[in-house]
Amino acid sequence: MFGSADALVQLAIKTMDPYVAAAVHGLATGVAKLELEALICGTRRTALAIARWEHTPASVLTALAGVHDDAIELRLDKNPGTSSSVLSSLYEEANSKGKAGLTKLIAQHLNSGTEVLKSIALNSKDAECLLALSKNSAANAKVLAVLSARVSGSDLGVAIHKNIAQNASASAELLVRMFDQSDVYTQAAILGHANCPAWLIAKSVAREEVLMMRVLAKNRRVSKESLQRYAACEDAGVRAGVASNALTPVAIFRHLIKDQSELVRRELASRIDLSEEHIDALSRDDDVWVRQRIARSPTTPLEVLYRLAVDEVADVRRAVARNTMSTVHLLNMLAEDKSAWVRSGVAYQANASQRILSKLADDKDVDVLSGVANNPNTPQSILKVLVSASEADVRRGVILNKSATRNTLLPLLEDPYYLHRMLLVHNPNLQAQDKWSLREDPDFQVRFSVYRWAANICLKMPDTFLVTK
Amino acid sequence: MKILVAVKQTAALEEDFEIRDDGLDVDEDFMMYDLNEWDDFSLEEAMKIKESSDTEVEVVVVSVGPDRVDESLRKCLAKGADRAVRVWDDAAEGSDAIVVGRILTEVIKKEAPDMVFAGVQSSDQAYASTGISVASYLNWPHAAVVADLQYKPGDNKAVIRRELEGGMLQEVEINCPAVLTIQLGINKPRYASLRGIKQAATKPIEEVSLADIGLSANDVGAAQSMSRVRRMYIPEKGRATMIEGTISEQAAKIIQIINEFKGA
Repeated sequence: MFGSADALVQLAIKTMDPYVAAAVHGLATGVAKLELEALICGTRRTALAIARWEHTPASVLTALAGVHDDAIELRLDKNPGTSSSVLSSLYEEANSKGKAGLTKLIAQHLNSGTEVLKSIALNSKDAECLLALSKNSAANAKVLAVLSARVSGSDLGVAIHKNIAQNASASAELLVRMFDQSDVYTQAAILGHANCPAWLIAKSVAREEVLMMRVLAKNRRVSKESLQRYAACEDAGVRAGVASNALTPVAIFRHLIKDQSELVRRELASRIDLSEEHIDALSRDDDVWVRQRIARSPTTPLEVLYRLAVDEVADVRRAVARNTMSTVHLLNMLAEDKSAWVRSGVAYQANASQRILSKLADDKDVDVLSGVANNPNTPQSILKVLVSASEADVRRGVILNKSATRNTLLPLLEDPYYLHRMLLVHNPNLQAQDKWSLREDPDFQVRFSVYRWAANICLKMPDTFLVTK
Repeated sequence: MKILVAVKQTAALEEDFEIRDDGLDVDEDFMMYDLNEWDDFSLEEAMKIKESSDTEVEVVVVSVGPDRVDESLRKCLAKGADRAVRVWDDAAEGSDAIVVGRILTEVIKKEAPDMVFAGVQSSDQAYASTGISVASYLNWPHAAVVADLQYKPGDNKAVIRRELEGGMLQEVEINCPAVLTIQLGINKPRYASLRGIKQAATKPIEEVSLADIGLSANDVGAAQSMSRVRRMYIPEKGRATMIEGTISEQAAKIIQIINEFKGA
């Protein structure tokens, strides 16, 4: 193996592989860095592909910004990995060339810096740019305030305020300022915003518009009296909001359990503060989703789970199989279920015993076998058999199994599916030499992953990484 | 027993691309090349016959195209094809599917296979005519859009199921040798094993010139084609609109559109 960051960079240069060069680019300096960049930008086609690729490291994207090719710049503007400083330079360039399309991409990029976003808010004349900026969660409260002040009162302002009302960065002050100028849709969005002040919520609970009531019924800052009123509302969406609200008093549950709308009963069935009486009533509901949610709930009593384990609908029985409170006895029963979907639920269960998993390992269904392969309780001897399964999903289950030992995983280094080999590069149970053996893999993504893994070791432990061979 | 599989290296486009200066195609810098998806299924069908047969079956993949096509042919070799043949001459640039069919036909005559498989269509040009033009030149029976195949080496007939509109299947008995164009989903194409990929890297790809198959530059290319590309362009955007507004407003607008569509 390589002994140092320099040695790794030299190895990467020797491969002549642009993706390997991209993987170690952050480690290189001086001439070596230029040699790597020559590989990355060897052809326009390669440079375009690397500029577009979502895994390209930020340092490579910075180097590509120096190429000054419009098509590459477009890809950099779109790449989620492009750094704030590169976006700042690209913004200057887009401005000087008058390219609003590129400015829009920068306005919506999550890495764009505050100064750039503020400049767009102040200076952009393009409606698309301003709309994109108003949706960007990287725009802070000040940027949004500048933007709001600039467009307030115009038709564009109405659309932008709708976006700001849903932007997590919007301040309480700005939300309040927008509230009175907005239509009911935007007002409802403002009331649902985490930064909406409590006094505005309190002031709005008397409003009768359904949209407002739907939002407020879900809000934990409304009073119990308001929830009581919403529980009697004609609109099922409002009542469903009450059913989902953690502050809803238990006394209201007995009305909601008999609600004519299954939407309301489903929300109620998802709660973890139901009494045994309520759980029992909902477990007999006609709606499958209601029964399914009760079957999945960790608060459902065991005797109810036993009853739901023989429900006519497989999805309900599977929910019991996946319930963390299901006992080995119950799981043993469900492991014999006629539906493979239910048996697969057992196979994925953390409570499934080795005996149950050994039995399920004889199953022919791919979902069941995938669950067995994934389950940390599965005996190692079974995992060793499953690495040879013809179905990729089953082999991937072994790779993702935290209990799979190095000896079990080693044959999978030869797995035909490239994604599996990529996953193995990040597997903590394999040794460095195992991962390094994939460095000449036929797939460029695997080679990139190996060199990137090695480069990260060099970055984290520059003095301690060893030559093992 | 020999099965010949006609394959093509197709181009997929990046999200952002540029048209060539001559306006006839996309700039190559923006294309990503790979084996045609349909051909992956054709090859797998041939491999299934080979692997389930008691007698020896040779699977030969053939493609018409420049050097870069070798990458796709090696992929076929890595998946188990016995031989790969590539026909090319710069004069063939601009050939339409019918001319490509003619070139393939001359290779087929030399190879004398018992069956010919091709994909229903290519993912980039989608003419769906190469396989059928081969059948026409050979004057062999053919079936298009084959979704199931029952055939054993040596049989003089095969039973196929063709995919029709409305989810219907048509079961057809066809005389062999025949040309079949294979539909997606007929099987589950394999991934090439690492060993297969390594072995394929050292296997030769037979490069065949037009002269080797009795053709000349005068038989191929745009001039000999029955159709020629006049221009390629991106049409103006249609009537699709982005629904803006808050989540509630977007939902309300969608309901309004649905109601208008339903005439409510």
